[in-house]
Amino acid sequence: MANHKDDPQSYPALGRWLMFVDNPRNVDRICYALYGLCAFLVALDFFYYKKVYTAVEKIPGFYAIYGFVMCALLVICAKAMRKVLMRDETYYAPYDVESEEFPEHDLDRESHDV
Amino acid sequence: MFDVLPPFVIYLIGALILPFIKAGNWRSAYSLFIPLIGAWLIWTAPMGENAQLAFFGFDLELMRVDKLSRIFGLVFSLAAFIGLIYAWHLRDWVQQTSAILYAGSAIGAVFVGDMISLFFFWEGTAIASVFLIWARGTEGAYHTGMRYLIIQIGSGVILIAGVAMHYHASGSIAFDKMTLPMSISSIGDIALWLIFLSFGIKCAFPLLHNWLQDAYPAATVTGTVFLSAFTTKLAVYALARTFPGTELLIYIGAIMTLFPIFYAVIENDLRRVLAYSLNNQLGFMVVGIGVGTELALNGTAAHAFAHILYKALLFMSVGAVLFRTGTAKGSELGGLYKTMPLTMIFCVVGAASISAFPLFSGFVAKSLILSAASHEHYYVVWGILLFASAGVFHHSGIKIPYFAFFAHDSGKRPKEAPMHMLIAMGLASFVCIFVGVFPKPLYDLLPYPIDYEAYTTTHVITQLQLLFASALAFTVLMRTKIYPPELKSVNLDFDVTYRKWLPSVIGYLAIVVSAIFQGVTGFINSSAVKIIKALHHSHGPDGSRAASWPTGAMVLNIALLLGFALVVIYLS
Repeated sequence: MANHKDDPQSYPALGRWLMFVDNPRNVDRICYALYGLCAFLVALDFFYYKKVYTAVEKIPGFYAIYGFVMCALLVICAKAMRKVLMRDETYYAPYDVESEEFPEHDLDRESHDV
Repeated sequence: MFDVLPPFVIYLIGALILPFIKAGNWRSAYSLFIPLIGAWLIWTAPMGENAQLAFFGFDLELMRVDKLSRIFGLVFSLAAFIGLIYAWHLRDWVQQTSAILYAGSAIGAVFVGDMISLFFFWEGTAIASVFLIWARGTEGAYHTGMRYLIIQIGSGVILIAGVAMHYHASGSIAFDKMTLPMSISSIGDIALWLIFLSFGIKCAFPLLHNWLQDAYPAATVTGTVFLSAFTTKLAVYALARTFPGTELLIYIGAIMTLFPIFYAVIENDLRRVLAYSLNNQLGFMVVGIGVGTELALNGTAAHAFAHILYKALLFMSVGAVLFRTGTAKGSELGGLYKTMPLTMIFCVVGAASISAFPLFSGFVAKSLILSAASHEHYYVVWGILLFASAGVFHHSGIKIPYFAFFAHDSGKRPKEAPMHMLIAMGLASFVCIFVGVFPKPLYDLLPYPIDYEAYTTTHVITQLQLLFASALAFTVLMRTKIYPPELKSVNLDFDVTYRKWLPSVIGYLAIVVSAIFQGVTGFINSSAVKIIKALHHSHGPDGSRAASWPTGAMVLNIALLLGFALVVIYLS
């Protein structure tokens, strides 16, 4: 339901203000900030006394490495699982996942260019 | 008899009066008073057993207040209150009544002191909650509701069977600590396993879990918020009450934290993603019960408290999207932050809480369980929980807000969520942050005295490392386009066995059975026809044998029969 007159001026102020995230250059900046933050957090490991209970935790940056590797594996495994497990949306029954109907006056459905 | 009025009575009376109030704001406002009065009753009730009832020779206890039941009772009341604010727009008395009865049953179950009363409330939660699914009014929801009801009622039937056998073996109906036997040698052992299984079904143990992912996305926008709070956490409470320290639970819990996150990554329906992550969070609580130390049980109670609120918050925010756009599928959403920025922010607060970011509620609760597992030297389990913590951030923390509110622009420009939904989400967000920043009030409510500092340098930095590394993995996979896109699909889970395979096996069996039946009956029919024809040929009016019969044969036969009857009567 793409609007013909999609006017940002009609969005809420907060939504307008957040629109910087649509700019690809800003997306890059956010990503670089994240890379920097990760590096900083790993570097911090060398500068404080780490009170830990297991041997592996003593490895500097253990949590970061573990988090990254396991999450990457998680996604890759899940993606492979799709090959076996994915079925059409109507596999079990037609109309399996539709939404309930609301009285139109409750729903207050309107788009912002009106 | 009753020193204190058990809070479920308020819910019961409140639900009975509700349909007689005219649908509208007054009725919605009225409904809010029910959990408030209920919470006040819980807050002011003295510790101990406060309400006895004689029932067919059993002494039932309806208001046992201790620190464990109190924290669950209070958080259930809070969840009911927030849920009813969120459901303010409802003009449907069926949903409103069933939501109140459902909350009341769950709260009633928390305070009972015996297994017979527990059974009544256990079934009460099942029956009341199914209307929240049926109220969606679609064909899919009707069938889902039926499956849900069969499984939930089944859990209750198993429970009462276990209770009856347990009573037979031990003479006790107390709802208290039991020891799960590792070998079955008597009827009492079977009883305990049945009770354990019944709790396990409601707690969504692996392979018993499918009702959860089936039902929660099928319920109404408001219904799912209620569903997410009560049933499973009631089961967690029951397990914490009866089987703390059962080592088996540690491994069950660890598996529960692990496998749902894989499904959550590839699931398209965002409410089903949340249902999978709910299952994963239950795993943490089950591990806590299994470890069974004071720290671990505190962790389970704290996590249940935090979890009910942030899970409700997440379901509310996705529900608001569903309410405004008519869909909760990741493949059809995106870019909604532009016109629903407040809903987006509340969703992010819920996401940060479930991911256990410092200063949010998950951080101060989940760490208790992880610490307990590592202190008791369950290092493999600890590793799994750590992975699950990173994974939960991946699919609940990033995926939900990202695909609903950012990602590719779907072109949908819905209106911001209605005011009452924003208030409900705002309230839940406030509690999530408040508990995260000031954990002491929550820690004071926990079942055991606690001396735990969540905000140590090590803990904050390691947790941030884990979470940002998880975010980094998401970003890298997204930018390299390895991350699986949201696709319109369903993924096979264990329920394929009873939704597809078993029915098709029965279908094949029916073909075989009917073929055998038709063969046998056909053979008998044709044989009978042949015999009749042969008899007709020989003994019929034109048959060769008929010609030789004397006319008086029938008279003789009747005379013999009468004579026989006379002898019988004479002898008797």
